[in-house]
Amino acid sequence: MLRYIATRFVIWVPSVLLVMMAVYALAFYGAGDPIKLIFLRAPGDVAYNPERIEAIRESAGLNKPFIEQFGYYIWNLLQGDFGNSLSSGRSVWAMVKAAAPVSFKLALCSIVLTALVAIPLGMIAALNQNRRLDYIILGSALFLWAIPAYVAGPLLMVGLIVLLPGVNVPYGWGGVFDIRILLPLIVLSFQPIALIIRQTRAAVIEVLSEDFVRTARAKGVPEIVVALKHILRPVLTPVVTQLGLIMITIVNGAIFVELVFGLPGLGRLTVKALTNSDYPVILAITLIGSFLVMISNLLVDILYPLLDPRAADARRSR
Amino acid sequence: MSAVQTEPATLSEEPPVSLWRDAWYRLKRNRLAIFGLCVIVLLAFTAIFGPYLTPYDFLGQDLEARNQAPSFAHLFGTDDLGRDVFSRVVYGTRTAFLVAVVVTAIALVIGTVLGAVAGFFGNPFDRVIMWLTDVTMSVPNLLLVVVINASLKTPIAQWMEARYLETLNPFYRETVWIDFLLVFGSMALISWPPYARLVRAQVLSIRSRPYITAAQALGLSNRIILTRYVIPNALGPLIVAVSAGLGTAMVLESAFSFLGVGVNPPTPSWGNMISDGLRVWQHYPHLLAAPAAVLGLASVAFSFLGDGLNDALNPRGSK
Amino acid sequence: MTGTKTENRLLDVKGLTVEIETRSGPAVIVDGIDLHVDRGETLGVVGESGCGKSLTMLSLMRLLPNKIHVAKGEAHFDGRDLQKMSNRELRKVRGGDIGFVFQDPMTSLNPVMRIGEQLAEPLIYHRGMSKKEARARAVELLRLVGIPGPEQRIEAYPHELSGGMRQRVMIAIGLACEPKLLIADEPTTALDVTIQAQIVDLVKGLREKLGMSVVWITHDLALIAGLVDRVIVLYAGTVVEDAPVDELYAHPRHPYTRGLLASIPKLSDQPASRLNSIGGTPPEPGRRPQGCPFAPRCPLAMDICRTHVPKLEPVAAAGSHRTACFAAEKAREAA
Repeated sequence: MLRYIATRFVIWVPSVLLVMMAVYALAFYGAGDPIKLIFLRAPGDVAYNPERIEAIRESAGLNKPFIEQFGYYIWNLLQGDFGNSLSSGRSVWAMVKAAAPVSFKLALCSIVLTALVAIPLGMIAALNQNRRLDYIILGSALFLWAIPAYVAGPLLMVGLIVLLPGVNVPYGWGGVFDIRILLPLIVLSFQPIALIIRQTRAAVIEVLSEDFVRTARAKGVPEIVVALKHILRPVLTPVVTQLGLIMITIVNGAIFVELVFGLPGLGRLTVKALTNSDYPVILAITLIGSFLVMISNLLVDILYPLLDPRAADARRSR
Repeated sequence: MSAVQTEPATLSEEPPVSLWRDAWYRLKRNRLAIFGLCVIVLLAFTAIFGPYLTPYDFLGQDLEARNQAPSFAHLFGTDDLGRDVFSRVVYGTRTAFLVAVVVTAIALVIGTVLGAVAGFFGNPFDRVIMWLTDVTMSVPNLLLVVVINASLKTPIAQWMEARYLETLNPFYRETVWIDFLLVFGSMALISWPPYARLVRAQVLSIRSRPYITAAQALGLSNRIILTRYVIPNALGPLIVAVSAGLGTAMVLESAFSFLGVGVNPPTPSWGNMISDGLRVWQHYPHLLAAPAAVLGLASVAFSFLGDGLNDALNPRGSK
Repeated sequence: MTGTKTENRLLDVKGLTVEIETRSGPAVIVDGIDLHVDRGETLGVVGESGCGKSLTMLSLMRLLPNKIHVAKGEAHFDGRDLQKMSNRELRKVRGGDIGFVFQDPMTSLNPVMRIGEQLAEPLIYHRGMSKKEARARAVELLRLVGIPGPEQRIEAYPHELSGGMRQRVMIAIGLACEPKLLIADEPTTALDVTIQAQIVDLVKGLREKLGMSVVWITHDLALIAGLVDRVIVLYAGTVVEDAPVDELYAHPRHPYTRGLLASIPKLSDQPASRLNSIGGTPPEPGRRPQGCPFAPRCPLAMDICRTHVPKLEPVAAAGSHRTACFAAEKAREAA
């Protein structure tokens, strides 16, 4: 197993290098001079002193060719040095370390909420296929899927203010067990929930027509046991494989949710870095996002054979 | 009934119908999908003709009538510059459709070409192309587009500026086009992988399917096999993907405008209108509600239609 | 053997009609079938695919797929109407009094559950056994159906067994609670020919050991000759012939039965001779011809066959042999 994980990691490295190189190239050729950017934000008599700028450029190795600079960046990265933010001068690693827990906790809660809400709902919809309840659940899922977080968030806030005038708008961050997490969590989970409801429904409908479900019924197994044991387990396999996609949805959604609800996480850090053209930060966040998706996909591959003994055999024989 | 004796039984319960008639029949019965289709047709009509029909210019400022609530004169009210929000939303529809259609078209072309190359020619093309799709799909795509947009805007603007000073051609001063160009390019760059995968999978599976072998064994010509068997079977999933892709592109466009890296003011886009509205929603909720509601409606419509098309065109997958 | 005393009836089906929903309204698939199974009797149900054999049996247990339902009819099992039972009562019958063996053991066993667990389920839900007791009994059952090393096999997943072994497991599941009736739905169709005979022999032996009734659905008349007591032949959802097995083989009356029997290749056939087959295909549901459903394919069809539906009636002397054919007498002469 360890060897398998290592192999996956080795495959992942070139893809993430490609992405980072692309981002680095964009920064290198597109963003303009990082030194000038620093000075533009710290105006004073040194700001437009060309000699001073040249000196700093020289000492920071910024007049070297692209490949050399990129290699230098990666070299530092391997030693755990993400560089310093262009706008604040703080260590990128420190900024990320402060922001990441907020986003990770939110993402984890969102995945748990999604599993708890979406899998039962998808199952209920499938068991009532083509009846009113199915249409209601499926319609809501399509609706949730289509509403972007930056529309749902504000509209929910407006709605709360109008409906409950006395209530304080939940804004800001106080940890997982703070009431203020509710609204962003719900908005962030809309798309994953919609995705999993549809996946679960489709998988259950497929399993329902399987012969072994008929066998279970012919054995006189109670309906509830048929649903929870014979149907749910084979359904979990295709649903779990969606984890990577869900991670992408959550990472994308977090940018807007954190912005709208004012959460001090990676999403807000991203937006700030973008408006400031703060490339060291952007590179770090790209790396983390890509890493998260890779880990999710890896997790899926590890979970898969546990859920489906046929896959376990296939892997062993490979 | 005596004629039954010589007549072989047909395979279906009813007179045989073509794939598309059958699909249309199934789609018609799906009320959500028809609702989506109607909304999309209405919005498309708005996008094409709307800007000529609105009573106000979308840029026309009326400082006497700023931040007005919705009324008969201004259906969705007016914004902080006294511009008619309804006219702006209508023009935003044009922006949204333009981006959605162009981006999807570019992505479709890139994806189809790469997917077909990967499927037909196999390794090493296949391996490289599939690796690229994997890489593109495994990066949080929003992040990538935003980075591309944010970083290329300045150099392109500078280049345009330089060209203008050189040639004095007024075309180079139209900065609006930079926005669109960047949005088109960067979004297409992340939108092609699903099409490439789909086309590749179709090419691979169709080539080896028993009915193609059967058709070849029957001595049908390649052209007939292609038009009667391959294309109809590949087209279904592609149509579903395109309808979903249009919706996604529309939402993405407004997402970028919302973040301030897409289509910039004063060109109205639902995204930048939402972003503007978000700043003052406590006082003028209509400025947020109008574009948000229309964006939501459009997105829901595409989602309903896409789902309905999926059920209608891939009957085996749905029931 | 085929006594008509009602107390000896284990299963008595009257006028069972099954319909499928189509776009143009419901279409009849099983058309008012009457059939019965006595205690200790083995009944063969024969017909081409799509004639409604399996659906008839599935409908008894209300296991029909979506869009197919029982329109009317009664099915008395042990004196109680299965169609009128509550879901709760029916659940006790399923797997308890009536065991089921399905056609394809690959798809009929749950791929993600160990076979021991699948075998234990009926024991737990019908006999109230603890998991431990059920497990011990499952080992016995596997031994009963001739699976070597049952203590180890109980931990296996279905995909780890061969097709024949899987079908033995299916049979063990059907027999778990020593049912009064075992319904076997084409249990050998998915298996190799050599394994088919083993399975038939297994069921034959177990039937005698447990004293149960068996309904064996098949399209293979030759396979069940030594197994069943009586055969009913289905065509397009109707019973066209019902006879003791020896009588049926010796004197088939319905042209369809004769066609089926004639289509079995014999060793005495000339290698170059053409196989006998019945021309045409059975009617689609909803496109049934007026009159006898077999008339369009029947070599003996007369005018009356195309306008009137023949009833299932006893053949002159032999009281237990019944057929639904206007040309039955002619068929006898032809034979």
